[in-house]
Amino acid sequence: MRPALGATIALALAASCLCGCAAAGRGPALRAATADQVLAAVREPGARAVLVNVWATWCVPCREEFPDLLEVAREYRARGLRLVLVSADFDDTLPQAREFLAANGVDFPSFHKTGDDMKFINTLEPSWSGAIPATIVFDGAGRKLRFLEGRQTYETLSQAVREALHEGGATDSVEAGT
Amino acid sequence: MIRGITVVGWLAAGVLGAGAVAQAQQESQGPKPLALGDAAPLADVAMMNVDGHETTIAGAHGAKGTLVVFTCNACPWAKAWHTRIVSLGNRCVKQGIGVIAINSNDPGVVPEDGYKVMQTNARRSKMAFPYVVDATSDVARAFGATRTPEAFLFDREGKLVYHGTIDDNAKQPDQVKERYLQDAVQAVVDGREIALAETKALGCGIKFRSKT
Repeated sequence: MRPALGATIALALAASCLCGCAAAGRGPALRAATADQVLAAVREPGARAVLVNVWATWCVPCREEFPDLLEVAREYRARGLRLVLVSADFDDTLPQAREFLAANGVDFPSFHKTGDDMKFINTLEPSWSGAIPATIVFDGAGRKLRFLEGRQTYETLSQAVREALHEGGATDSVEAGT
Repeated sequence: MIRGITVVGWLAAGVLGAGAVAQAQQESQGPKPLALGDAAPLADVAMMNVDGHETTIAGAHGAKGTLVVFTCNACPWAKAWHTRIVSLGNRCVKQGIGVIAINSNDPGVVPEDGYKVMQTNARRSKMAFPYVVDATSDVARAFGATRTPEAFLFDREGKLVYHGTIDDNAKQPDQVKERYLQDAVQAVVDGREIALAETKALGCGIKFRSKT
Protein backbone atom coordinates (compact mmCIF):
# COMPACT_ATOMS: atom_id res chain seq x y z
CA MET A 1 0.00 0.00 0.00
CA ARG A 2 2.66 2.46 0.98
CA PRO A 3 4.68 2.34 -2.30
CA ALA A 4 1.48 2.70 -4.29
CA LEU A 5 0.37 5.62 -2.17
CA GLY A 6 3.77 7.22 -2.51
CA ALA A 7 3.71 6.84 -6.26
CA THR A 8 0.25 8.33 -6.41
CA ILE A 9 1.32 11.34 -4.37
CA ALA A 10 4.45 11.79 -6.49
CA LEU A 11 2.38 11.68 -9.68
CA ALA A 12 -0.09 14.16 -8.25
CA LEU A 13 2.67 16.53 -7.20
CA ALA A 14 4.37 16.24 -10.58
CA ALA A 15 1.11 16.92 -12.35
CA SER A 16 0.38 19.92 -10.17
CA CYS A 17 3.82 21.38 -10.87
CA LEU A 18 3.84 21.01 -14.63
CA CYS A 19 4.50 24.27 -16.42
CA GLY A 20 6.09 26.02 -13.48
CA CYS A 21 3.64 24.99 -10.81
CA ALA A 22 0.47 26.25 -12.42
CA ALA A 23 -2.39 26.77 -9.99
CA ALA A 24 -4.50 23.73 -9.18
CA GLY A 25 -8.06 23.44 -10.34
CA ARG A 26 -9.97 23.00 -13.57
CA GLY A 27 -9.57 25.46 -16.38
CA PRO A 28 -6.78 27.04 -18.38
CA ALA A 29 -3.27 27.16 -16.97
CA LEU A 30 -2.65 29.95 -14.49
CA ARG A 31 1.03 30.57 -13.91
CA ALA A 32 2.66 32.65 -11.20
CA ALA A 33 4.28 35.76 -12.64
CA THR A 34 6.05 38.87 -11.50
CA ALA A 35 5.54 42.15 -13.35
CA ASP A 36 8.73 41.50 -15.31
CA GLN A 37 7.39 38.15 -16.45
CA VAL A 38 4.13 39.77 -17.49
CA LEU A 39 6.06 42.34 -19.49
CA ALA A 40 8.08 39.55 -21.10
CA ALA A 41 4.81 38.00 -22.25
CA VAL A 42 3.79 41.39 -23.64
CA ARG A 43 7.00 41.56 -25.67
CA GLU A 44 6.71 38.08 -27.16
CA PRO A 45 6.63 38.47 -30.94
CA GLY A 46 3.53 38.04 -33.01
CA ALA A 47 1.13 40.66 -31.69
CA ARG A 48 0.36 44.11 -33.10
CA ALA A 49 -1.23 45.22 -29.84
CA VAL A 50 -1.45 43.77 -26.34
CA LEU A 51 -3.97 44.28 -23.55
CA VAL A 52 -2.87 43.40 -20.03
CA ASN A 53 -5.79 43.10 -17.64
CA VAL A 54 -5.38 42.61 -13.88
CA TRP A 55 -8.49 41.11 -12.32
CA ALA A 56 -9.69 38.84 -9.52
CA THR A 57 -12.63 36.51 -9.02
CA TRP A 58 -13.97 38.38 -5.98
CA CYS A 59 -13.72 41.78 -7.70
CA VAL A 60 -17.23 42.71 -8.80
CA PRO A 61 -16.26 45.30 -11.45
CA CYS A 62 -13.64 42.86 -12.78
CA ARG A 63 -16.29 40.19 -13.27
CA GLU A 64 -18.65 42.71 -14.83
CA GLU A 65 -15.93 43.89 -17.22
CA PHE A 66 -14.83 40.39 -18.23
CA PRO A 67 -17.40 39.68 -20.98
CA ASP A 68 -16.61 42.99 -22.70
CA LEU A 69 -12.90 42.32 -22.39
CA LEU A 70 -13.20 38.88 -23.96
CA GLU A 71 -15.50 40.14 -26.70
CA VAL A 72 -12.92 42.73 -27.68
CA ALA A 73 -10.16 40.11 -27.50
CA ARG A 74 -12.06 37.78 -29.82
CA GLU A 75 -13.06 40.53 -32.22
CA TYR A 76 -9.53 41.84 -32.67
CA ARG A 77 -7.52 38.64 -32.26
CA ALA A 78 -7.28 38.07 -36.02
CA ARG A 79 -6.03 41.64 -36.44
CA GLY A 80 -3.16 41.04 -34.05
CA LEU A 81 -4.47 41.66 -30.54
CA ARG A 82 -3.09 39.57 -27.68
CA LEU A 83 -4.85 39.50 -24.31
CA VAL A 84 -2.70 38.86 -21.24
CA LEU A 85 -4.78 38.14 -18.16
CA VAL A 86 -3.26 38.48 -14.69
CA SER A 87 -5.28 37.28 -11.73
CA ALA A 88 -4.70 39.07 -8.44
CA ASP A 89 -6.46 36.32 -6.49
CA PHE A 90 -4.82 35.06 -3.35
CA ASP A 91 -3.47 31.51 -3.57
CA ASP A 92 -6.51 30.04 -1.86
CA THR A 93 -8.87 31.29 -4.58
CA LEU A 94 -6.78 30.31 -7.60
CA PRO A 95 -8.91 27.20 -8.27
CA GLN A 96 -11.95 29.49 -8.48
CA ALA A 97 -9.99 31.76 -10.80
CA ARG A 98 -9.31 28.88 -13.17
CA GLU A 99 -12.94 27.82 -13.04
CA PHE A 100 -14.04 31.40 -13.76
CA LEU A 101 -11.72 31.56 -16.76
CA ALA A 102 -13.04 28.25 -18.07
CA ALA A 103 -16.64 29.32 -17.55
CA ASN A 104 -15.94 32.44 -19.59
CA GLY A 105 -14.39 30.47 -22.43
CA VAL A 106 -10.77 31.45 -21.84
CA ASP A 107 -8.75 28.74 -23.56
CA PHE A 108 -5.26 30.22 -23.36
CA PRO A 109 -2.73 30.28 -20.50
CA SER A 110 -2.74 33.26 -18.21
CA PHE A 111 -1.03 34.47 -15.06
CA HIS A 112 -1.56 35.10 -11.42
CA LYS A 113 0.39 37.85 -9.74
CA THR A 114 3.16 36.86 -7.38
CA GLY A 115 5.72 38.78 -5.37
CA ASP A 116 5.72 42.20 -3.78
CA ASP A 117 2.64 44.31 -4.56
CA MET A 118 4.36 47.67 -4.72
CA LYS A 119 7.04 46.45 -7.12
CA PHE A 120 4.40 44.76 -9.25
CA ILE A 121 2.28 47.92 -9.43
CA ASN A 122 5.10 50.36 -10.08
CA THR A 123 6.77 48.14 -12.67
CA LEU A 124 3.59 47.78 -14.69
CA GLU A 125 2.41 51.37 -14.31
CA PRO A 126 3.72 53.96 -11.81
CA SER A 127 0.48 55.95 -11.87
CA TRP A 128 -1.59 52.90 -10.93
CA SER A 129 -3.10 53.26 -7.43
CA GLY A 130 -3.35 49.49 -7.03
CA ALA A 131 -7.12 49.28 -7.43
CA ILE A 132 -8.44 46.66 -9.82
CA PRO A 133 -9.52 46.07 -12.52
CA ALA A 134 -6.64 47.71 -14.31
CA THR A 135 -5.88 47.49 -18.02
CA ILE A 136 -2.70 48.48 -19.80
CA VAL A 137 -2.50 48.84 -23.58
CA PHE A 138 0.75 48.18 -25.43
CA ASP A 139 1.69 48.35 -29.07
CA GLY A 140 3.29 45.43 -30.87
CA ALA A 141 6.75 46.57 -29.84
CA GLY A 142 5.83 46.43 -26.19
CA ARG A 143 5.56 50.19 -25.77
CA LYS A 144 3.00 51.26 -23.22
CA LEU A 145 0.31 53.41 -24.78
CA ARG A 146 -2.48 53.67 -22.29
CA PHE A 147 -3.48 52.87 -18.74
CA LEU A 148 -7.09 52.36 -17.75
CA GLU A 149 -7.92 52.04 -14.05
CA GLY A 150 -11.37 50.82 -13.08
CA ARG A 151 -14.07 49.00 -14.96
CA GLN A 152 -14.08 49.57 -18.69
CA THR A 153 -16.77 49.02 -21.28
CA TYR A 154 -16.71 47.36 -24.68
CA GLU A 155 -16.54 50.84 -26.21
CA THR A 156 -13.57 52.11 -24.21
CA LEU A 157 -11.65 48.88 -24.63
CA SER A 158 -12.29 48.54 -28.36
CA GLN A 159 -11.40 52.18 -28.92
CA ALA A 160 -8.10 51.73 -27.11
CA VAL A 161 -7.38 48.61 -29.16
CA ARG A 162 -8.22 50.30 -32.45
CA GLU A 163 -5.87 53.12 -31.60
CA ALA A 164 -3.12 50.67 -30.69
CA LEU A 165 -3.68 48.85 -33.97
CA HIS A 166 -3.50 52.17 -35.84
CA GLU A 167 -7.07 51.70 -36.97
CA GLY A 168 -8.23 55.15 -35.87
CA GLY A 169 -11.41 55.70 -33.96
CA ALA A 170 -9.86 58.15 -31.54
CA THR A 171 -12.15 60.66 -29.94
CA ASP A 172 -11.61 63.40 -27.45
CA SER A 173 -12.96 61.53 -24.51
CA VAL A 174 -13.53 58.09 -23.15
CA GLU A 175 -15.50 56.78 -20.26
CA ALA A 176 -13.87 55.22 -17.27
CA GLY A 177 -15.90 53.56 -14.58
CA THR A 178 -15.48 52.42 -11.05
CA MET B 1 -20.83 54.72 -11.53
CA ILE B 2 -19.62 56.02 -14.85
CA ARG B 3 -17.71 59.23 -15.04
CA GLY B 4 -16.47 60.97 -18.15
CA ILE B 5 -12.75 61.55 -18.36
CA THR B 6 -11.19 63.87 -20.86
CA VAL B 7 -8.28 62.55 -22.82
CA VAL B 8 -6.39 65.33 -24.48
CA GLY B 9 -5.40 64.38 -27.97
CA TRP B 10 -3.51 61.25 -27.11
CA LEU B 11 -2.94 60.30 -30.68
CA ALA B 12 -1.56 63.76 -31.29
CA ALA B 13 0.92 63.23 -28.51
CA GLY B 14 2.98 61.18 -30.89
CA VAL B 15 3.24 58.15 -28.67
CA LEU B 16 2.90 55.94 -31.71
CA GLY B 17 5.54 57.76 -33.66
CA ALA B 18 8.76 56.04 -34.63
CA GLY B 19 11.43 56.60 -32.03
CA ALA B 20 9.07 58.28 -29.61
CA VAL B 21 9.26 57.26 -26.00
CA ALA B 22 5.89 55.81 -25.25
CA GLN B 23 4.14 57.74 -22.53
CA ALA B 24 1.13 55.86 -21.33
CA GLN B 25 -2.10 57.79 -21.13
CA GLN B 26 -3.83 57.33 -17.85
CA GLU B 27 -7.52 57.49 -17.26
CA SER B 28 -8.03 57.66 -13.52
CA GLN B 29 -11.34 57.82 -11.74
CA GLY B 30 -11.51 61.13 -10.03
CA PRO B 31 -9.49 63.70 -8.19
CA LYS B 32 -5.87 62.96 -7.51
CA PRO B 33 -5.14 61.63 -4.05
CA LEU B 34 -4.14 64.11 -1.40
CA ALA B 35 -0.54 65.20 -1.59
CA LEU B 36 1.81 65.03 1.35
CA GLY B 37 1.33 68.18 3.38
CA ASP B 38 -2.37 68.50 2.53
CA ALA B 39 -5.03 68.74 5.22
CA ALA B 40 -7.91 66.28 5.54
CA PRO B 41 -10.81 67.45 3.37
CA LEU B 42 -14.45 67.32 4.46
CA ALA B 43 -13.27 66.90 8.03
CA ASP B 44 -16.53 68.34 9.40
CA VAL B 45 -18.87 66.07 7.44
CA ALA B 46 -20.99 64.03 9.84
CA MET B 47 -20.90 60.29 9.24
CA MET B 48 -22.83 57.58 11.05
CA ASN B 49 -20.66 55.53 13.36
CA VAL B 50 -21.31 51.91 14.25
CA ASP B 51 -22.35 53.07 17.73
CA GLY B 52 -25.40 54.80 16.25
CA HIS B 53 -24.04 58.32 16.69
CA GLU B 54 -22.67 60.63 14.03
CA THR B 55 -19.06 61.72 14.12
CA THR B 56 -16.54 63.48 11.91
CA ILE B 57 -12.90 63.21 10.94
CA ALA B 58 -12.26 66.35 12.96
CA GLY B 59 -13.99 64.72 15.89
CA ALA B 60 -11.58 61.79 15.72
CA HIS B 61 -8.57 64.07 15.83
CA GLY B 62 -5.83 63.10 18.27
CA ALA B 63 -3.29 65.25 20.07
CA LYS B 64 -0.41 63.75 18.10
CA GLY B 65 -2.18 63.14 14.79
CA THR B 66 -5.03 61.44 13.00
CA LEU B 67 -5.22 58.19 11.06
CA VAL B 68 -7.95 57.86 8.43
CA VAL B 69 -8.39 54.40 6.91
CA PHE B 70 -10.78 53.72 4.05
CA THR B 71 -11.85 50.12 4.43
CA CYS B 72 -14.89 47.89 4.13
CA ASN B 73 -16.32 44.53 5.12
CA ALA B 74 -16.26 42.50 1.93
CA CYS B 75 -12.95 43.10 0.19
CA PRO B 76 -10.53 40.18 0.66
CA TRP B 77 -7.65 42.60 1.18
CA ALA B 78 -9.60 44.54 3.80
CA LYS B 79 -10.49 41.25 5.47
CA ALA B 80 -6.90 40.04 5.35
CA TRP B 81 -5.64 43.23 6.97
CA HIS B 82 -8.58 43.83 9.31
CA THR B 83 -7.02 42.37 12.47
CA ARG B 84 -3.81 44.31 11.90
CA ILE B 85 -5.71 47.55 11.20
CA VAL B 86 -7.72 47.19 14.40
CA SER B 87 -4.67 46.26 16.45
CA LEU B 88 -2.67 49.19 15.14
CA GLY B 89 -5.65 51.56 15.38
CA ASN B 90 -6.33 50.63 18.99
CA ARG B 91 -2.67 51.15 19.82
CA CYS B 92 -2.74 54.53 18.02
CA VAL B 93 -5.61 55.70 20.20
CA LYS B 94 -3.56 54.90 23.31
CA GLN B 95 -0.60 56.80 21.85
CA GLY B 96 -2.55 59.96 21.11
CA ILE B 97 -3.23 59.37 17.42
CA GLY B 98 -6.93 59.69 16.65
CA VAL B 99 -8.30 57.01 14.32
CA ILE B 100 -11.35 56.79 12.09
CA ALA B 101 -12.18 53.95 9.70
CA ILE B 102 -14.45 54.93 6.82
CA ASN B 103 -16.56 52.66 4.63
CA SER B 104 -17.33 54.50 1.38
CA ASN B 105 -18.61 51.47 -0.52
CA ASP B 106 -22.13 51.33 -1.90
CA PRO B 107 -23.77 48.33 -0.22
CA GLY B 108 -26.08 48.19 -3.19
CA VAL B 109 -23.12 46.74 -5.08
CA VAL B 110 -21.97 44.36 -2.34
CA PRO B 111 -24.55 43.89 0.45
CA GLU B 112 -21.84 42.67 2.84
CA ASP B 113 -20.59 46.26 2.94
CA GLY B 114 -23.74 47.35 4.74
CA TYR B 115 -24.04 49.05 8.13
CA LYS B 116 -25.09 46.02 10.17
CA VAL B 117 -22.07 44.02 9.05
CA MET B 118 -19.90 47.02 9.94
CA GLN B 119 -21.38 46.96 13.44
CA THR B 120 -20.76 43.24 13.76
CA ASN B 121 -17.17 43.52 12.53
CA ALA B 122 -16.41 46.44 14.84
CA ARG B 123 -17.87 44.65 17.85
CA ARG B 124 -16.21 41.30 17.16
CA SER B 125 -12.80 42.80 16.48
CA LYS B 126 -13.04 45.16 19.48
CA MET B 127 -12.45 48.35 17.52
CA ALA B 128 -11.68 51.19 19.93
CA PHE B 129 -12.22 53.85 17.27
CA PRO B 130 -15.10 54.95 15.02
CA TYR B 131 -16.06 52.95 11.93
CA VAL B 132 -18.33 55.20 9.92
CA VAL B 133 -20.43 55.26 6.77
CA ASP B 134 -19.47 57.68 4.01
CA ALA B 135 -23.05 57.83 2.82
CA THR B 136 -22.35 59.66 -0.44
CA SER B 137 -18.78 58.36 -1.02
CA ASP B 138 -17.85 62.03 -1.27
CA VAL B 139 -15.29 61.80 1.51
CA ALA B 140 -13.43 59.11 -0.43
CA ARG B 141 -13.67 61.24 -3.56
CA ALA B 142 -12.31 64.27 -1.71
CA PHE B 143 -9.36 62.25 -0.42
CA GLY B 144 -8.81 60.75 -3.87
CA ALA B 145 -9.02 57.33 -2.25
CA THR B 146 -9.49 54.51 -4.75
CA ARG B 147 -9.22 51.23 -2.93
CA THR B 148 -9.68 49.38 0.34
CA PRO B 149 -7.84 49.44 2.58
CA GLU B 150 -6.09 52.76 2.00
CA ALA B 151 -4.55 54.76 4.86
CA PHE B 152 -3.97 58.51 5.28
CA LEU B 153 -1.96 59.61 8.33
CA PHE B 154 -1.93 63.25 9.42
CA ASP B 155 0.51 64.73 11.91
CA ARG B 156 -0.35 66.87 14.92
CA GLU B 157 -0.57 69.94 12.68
CA GLY B 158 -3.07 68.19 10.44
CA LYS B 159 -0.73 67.70 7.49
CA LEU B 160 -0.71 64.47 5.52
CA VAL B 161 2.53 62.67 6.28
CA TYR B 162 1.78 59.13 5.09
CA HIS B 163 -0.48 57.71 2.38
CA GLY B 164 -0.67 54.12 1.34
CA THR B 165 -1.00 50.59 2.47
CA ILE B 166 -0.69 48.71 5.74
CA ASP B 167 2.31 46.46 5.19
CA ASP B 168 3.92 44.37 2.47
CA ASN B 169 1.97 41.13 2.89
CA ALA B 170 -1.79 41.18 3.28
CA LYS B 171 -2.34 37.45 3.28
CA GLN B 172 0.53 36.18 5.40
CA PRO B 173 0.99 38.26 8.56
CA ASP B 174 3.91 36.10 9.63
CA GLN B 175 5.72 36.88 6.38
CA VAL B 176 5.52 40.67 6.70
CA LYS B 177 8.88 42.35 6.21
CA GLU B 178 7.84 46.00 5.93
CA ARG B 179 5.30 47.49 8.36
CA TYR B 180 4.78 50.73 6.46
CA LEU B 181 1.85 52.17 8.41
CA GLN B 182 3.05 51.06 11.83
CA ASP B 183 6.47 52.61 11.16
CA ALA B 184 4.83 55.84 9.99
CA VAL B 185 2.64 55.99 13.09
CA GLN B 186 5.62 55.44 15.36
CA ALA B 187 7.55 58.17 13.56
CA VAL B 188 4.66 60.60 14.11
CA VAL B 189 4.44 59.65 17.77
CA ASP B 190 8.19 60.11 18.15
CA GLY B 191 8.23 63.32 16.14
CA ARG B 192 10.56 61.79 13.55
CA GLU B 193 10.49 62.01 9.78
CA ILE B 194 8.75 59.11 8.07
CA ALA B 195 11.15 56.99 6.05
CA LEU B 196 8.67 55.86 3.39
CA ALA B 197 5.74 58.26 3.15
CA GLU B 198 3.93 56.83 0.13
CA THR B 199 3.32 53.14 -0.53
CA LYS B 200 1.00 51.02 -2.66
CA ALA B 201 -0.69 47.66 -2.61
CA LEU B 202 -3.25 45.93 -4.73
CA GLY B 203 -6.72 46.39 -3.35
CA CYS B 204 -10.40 46.41 -4.15
CA GLY B 205 -11.63 49.47 -5.94
CA ILE B 206 -14.02 51.55 -3.83
CA LYS B 207 -17.60 50.99 -4.96
CA PHE B 208 -18.55 54.65 -5.19
CA ARG B 209 -22.17 55.64 -4.85
CA SER B 210 -23.58 57.38 -7.88
CA LYS B 211 -23.65 61.16 -7.76
CA THR B 212 -27.19 62.45 -7.62
